[in-house]
Amino acid sequence: MRRNLLLGLLVVALLAFSVSTLFAGAQREAAEREIVLTWPSIWVGQDSKADVMEEIVNEFNQQHAGRIRVVVEPQPDYDGYEDTIRTRLAARRPPDIFTFKLSPTTAVYYSGDLLMDFSADLGRDGWGDTFNQGNLNASTMGGATKSLPYEIGFTPIWYNTELFARAGIDRFPQTMDEFWEACEKLKAIGVVPTSQMTGGTNSWTSMLWYTHFLGSYGGPDVWERAWDDRAFEQAAAIIKRLYSDGNTTRDAIGADAGVSSGHYMNERTAMFINGAWFIGRIRDDAPDVYRATELAPAPKAGNYHGHQVGWLHTNLAAAHTDDPARREAVVTFMRHLTSPENAKRVSLAAGSLLAVEFELGPQDQLDPLQAKFIEAGNQAEFLIDHMEASMPVDVVYELGQALGSMVLEDRSPREFVQMLQAAEN
Amino acid sequence: MRNLSSKSNRNRKWIVLFLTPVGVLFVAFFLYPIVFVTILSFMEWNGIEPMSFIGIGNFRYLFADSVFRTSIQNNVIWALSAALLQIPLALVIALILAREPRGWRFFRTVYFLPNVISLVALAMMWTALYNPEFGLINHLLERVGADHMTRNWLGEIETALPALIFSYQIYIGYFMVIILAGTLSIPKSFYEAAMIDGANVFQQEVHITLPAIRGIIITAGTLAVAFALRQFETTFLMTAGGPANRTPVMGLYMYRRMAGLTYGRAAATGVLIIVLGIVVLSALQRVFGKADAVEDARQ
Repeated sequence: MRRNLLLGLLVVALLAFSVSTLFAGAQREAAEREIVLTWPSIWVGQDSKADVMEEIVNEFNQQHAGRIRVVVEPQPDYDGYEDTIRTRLAARRPPDIFTFKLSPTTAVYYSGDLLMDFSADLGRDGWGDTFNQGNLNASTMGGATKSLPYEIGFTPIWYNTELFARAGIDRFPQTMDEFWEACEKLKAIGVVPTSQMTGGTNSWTSMLWYTHFLGSYGGPDVWERAWDDRAFEQAAAIIKRLYSDGNTTRDAIGADAGVSSGHYMNERTAMFINGAWFIGRIRDDAPDVYRATELAPAPKAGNYHGHQVGWLHTNLAAAHTDDPARREAVVTFMRHLTSPENAKRVSLAAGSLLAVEFELGPQDQLDPLQAKFIEAGNQAEFLIDHMEASMPVDVVYELGQALGSMVLEDRSPREFVQMLQAAEN
Repeated sequence: MRNLSSKSNRNRKWIVLFLTPVGVLFVAFFLYPIVFVTILSFMEWNGIEPMSFIGIGNFRYLFADSVFRTSIQNNVIWALSAALLQIPLALVIALILAREPRGWRFFRTVYFLPNVISLVALAMMWTALYNPEFGLINHLLERVGADHMTRNWLGEIETALPALIFSYQIYIGYFMVIILAGTLSIPKSFYEAAMIDGANVFQQEVHITLPAIRGIIITAGTLAVAFALRQFETTFLMTAGGPANRTPVMGLYMYRRMAGLTYGRAAATGVLIIVLGIVVLSALQRVFGKADAVEDARQ
């Protein structure tokens, strides 16, 4: 009996100790008033923005020591990152800060009160004026800006001038006839003309090639047209040919972005498509190819020419909160991250193009290839979004399968388009 | 009598006490998800907005989708390959190693090793081996003058699924270890008696080993089929269901529906995976009899 009593007292004492410790901890936290914001970030590890982002976050944490602390949760896998965000939103537990690609599928994130609305804050102290207004408008739905435009995707065709010169091609083809002729010349010297891929979640490189040609046939509003518009089929016919006759590598069906870019960096292929974020990688891993690279719009296939594929690549978002202090902390960090000075640092360090506008001074060393990106953007007749920014995720997933089917089973471009259309339903 | 009754009550309390944590975990992580997924399979839900009831609409969609039908077919092929390829291979290796030839412990470790290596790393390795441009398989074929046999192994309709299944055979070590453990537990005297009676090695295996480890083989087979039915990672990492929708499995199909924010369809797929699993595993038990791990251990 006495033993039981002692045991009971011991349990009560332990419980009391635990509760008091917790209580003391909570009191201490309240006294410190430090707000901790978690940010699952893809800009870590090998990402070209990783180092500069770490610096920016560290500086912010130092400036706001004891009041606000941003904790980065590294998540270097892009697809895994999207899965995480999707799951956390479905569980109604969005991270304090996160990024996502704004698309017809992810636009649903704007529904309800999951995300913080920055529209009122953007009007304060001219914060909203620092953004490209077109990008800001694209991120505003029903008057609510529930994500901030950050990185812009801009993907001209990259081509290796040295391989072109070796093949006897003196300029990038302007018409499709010239383009196919150039392909033959490249093949004659043992170089595969283009990098393509059907792997990954979006068949990245081939999706961009398809979008370029779609723009040439359908013009700036092509994504607003119905699937039976001829442009979809005509662009598909070109892609089919690009996958045939040795115009791409043998592993293109099933290849992922690493394989596709690897071929270009190893000079197996002479043409490739990607965004400015790839500059850091190619500069470090394939300096000769980096120096030989020039950028161009797609050759004229339809009625339009000189356009480029450009879209909002990454938006910054935050979890909605009713706590004014927490809200202010998030806004403070977002303002820090998207300040023109920090945007310039990110852009110069990583080669990225951002939706935040900034001035370049004479002392700023702009990467030569990045300068070509900016020039290509300025010269573009018009910009069109790529497929991933314009179509539901299911259509984008189906693109790789439809490409595989069109090439391997010799399906017609019409059937290719029908597969995409079926995936939308 | 009163003593017995109070003792029984006290035992019941302890039983309840010990079972409660497991019961709570079972309800939270097994029963609740299954009930939720079943309810969700009759709903339309994008994960953000409220759900709406649509009856059997999701199931109707799935059966009308040729990719889903291919996914079921592929899951069945995976299950068959597990039963007809993986287990027989594991059995043969286990029987050889059970004879304890020179270096058998080393080979046992080598065969089991892939099970402790990251699946992602192995998938990357196989993808590189299969690559038509720089992969080792095509390179070896070219070296022996069989250029005509080189392929884009993961990128051609005829070879993609067999290539995936072949790569998965690297996991036979898991089943080999299970079967080997059972085989090594058979008393040596059985074999000695058989040898005195003039039985050769083949006869010993057929008449002693196989009957003795029958339950273990069925257990291993059931596990292999269950693993095959929930196949996802290898397909996702190596082909993502391609080329031309030839290699998807139900797990991958479900993942894609989630990525497209059609959670109702994903849940309906999940329900059908459970149903298929129950049907296949019940059929296995009916055909091969009951295989109980505890019973096996007693043997």
